[in-house]
Amino acid sequence: MIEARGIVKRYGDVAAVDDVSFSIAAGEVVGFLGPNGAGKTTTMRILTGFLPATDGTALIDGHDIFHEAIAARRAIGYLPETPPLYPEMDVAGYLTFVAKLKDVPRSKRKAAVERAMERCGLADVRRRVIGALSKGYRQRVGIAQAIVHEPKVLILDEPTVGLDPIQIREIRQLLVSLASAQEGGHTIVLSTHILAEVEAICRRVILIHRGKKVLDAPLEEITANGGRLEDAFTRATLREEPALAPEPQPEVAA
Amino acid sequence: MRHIGAIAGRELRSYFVSPVAYAVLTMWAVVVGFFFVALVGFFLEAQRSGDPRALTELNFHVYVVEPMVQTLWIILMMLVPGLTMGLFTSEKANGTHELLLTSPISISDYVIGKFLAAAAMVTLLMALLAAYIGFLFAFGAPPPEGPQTAAALGALWLVALSNAAIGCLTSALTRSPLIAYLSAVVVVFLLFLLSVVAPAASLGGSVALAWAGDFVRWLSSNPHFMDLSSGLVETKALAYFAFMIVVPLVIAKTAVESVRWR
Repeated sequence: MIEARGIVKRYGDVAAVDDVSFSIAAGEVVGFLGPNGAGKTTTMRILTGFLPATDGTALIDGHDIFHEAIAARRAIGYLPETPPLYPEMDVAGYLTFVAKLKDVPRSKRKAAVERAMERCGLADVRRRVIGALSKGYRQRVGIAQAIVHEPKVLILDEPTVGLDPIQIREIRQLLVSLASAQEGGHTIVLSTHILAEVEAICRRVILIHRGKKVLDAPLEEITANGGRLEDAFTRATLREEPALAPEPQPEVAA
Repeated sequence: MRHIGAIAGRELRSYFVSPVAYAVLTMWAVVVGFFFVALVGFFLEAQRSGDPRALTELNFHVYVVEPMVQTLWIILMMLVPGLTMGLFTSEKANGTHELLLTSPISISDYVIGKFLAAAAMVTLLMALLAAYIGFLFAFGAPPPEGPQTAAALGALWLVALSNAAIGCLTSALTRSPLIAYLSAVVVVFLLFLLSVVAPAASLGGSVALAWAGDFVRWLSSNPHFMDLSSGLVETKALAYFAFMIVVPLVIAKTAVESVRWR
């Protein structure tokens, strides 16, 4: 479903993403892990077609993200680091607008918006103005926006950051249900640096460190024989000498 | 093309939920009303004085429509960039720029949709102005000449649309609405003033300089606007405004696209 082939992103001499390849099958839920500044956001922005890659490419549902950009983008639901919301719009109006952008046919638009709101628990706030919602609700609107067109692939950049524990649990439950077969079996890539989140949701872990893929394994394999994800994370990120200089921050705010 | 309507419609609605549209419309109605009353006053004054020179050229076009349109032209140079400054800068601030660029829409749709929303606001301003001018047709004796008035209003509409296109461009180039506003005002004023410096080039006497002078003069909005607003409708002027709408929009599209290859 997602096929990344040797993705490289350079800013001058700094390689934010350095030759990252992976292949994710339909219905997989993958945790995209790494310390801050590892290149997670940059990789996701490349996969979604927001940023070009310096080298390499990716296929989303068989469509090249650069040469068949429109078809590839149609297959993706994307929640950026900051949910892309218009504070002056109400929830239903906003989701209808996104459904139009994502080519949901007019006849199905209303049902698609209803369904997204229902799945994300937004039915009660449908007429509320987004700017007046709590952070948890805004995050849910962000997720609703990503799933409104029933994309095959969901790319979520830190979907639970800044939420309280109850909200985090709700979002996790939502993601688990989105991945389940009866809810369409979305392929989900989820970036985070919260390891517990990965353990709760994901079946596979891809670990990025300084732009390089350092680990790619099923969660079962990592936790077999009593192993802990945290240890694997620490081992993988400390394999090279620990960085004393501050990490370069290649992730430009676009 | 399919998404232009969605983008323009959303933008237009957001104009009316924020105070921007109301502030601009109110300001416009007050300014237009003020000039209208003042100019009609001058006209009546001239009529009463019986000044023979005034009597020969005593018509609403010369006394009201033309000076009004020319004054409002200057006001629009400051007003229209206020309408356009947030077009792209607010998308960047909301993070919705990222949503739009990762949606299956073309960048042309994005830019044209934004421009059309601003163009709709500009057209609304013109409609308000036309309502005032309508009084001259209803109660003026004799009323102004229709085609001449239409040319003057059309000139103002076109110059405002080109200001909107320039405002789109500066908004696409920066993240700061203030910089977008100020740079649009500067560009629009420069285009207005260019015709003033143009004659200086022809003083040099060389053919190349004269040619440059002609070009600078052509680039200025001033002569084209003046021709149109006096009722002289020429393809040259219409082509100029089409150029000044299309070129900024094309550059704006490139600017939005540039995240993709930067």
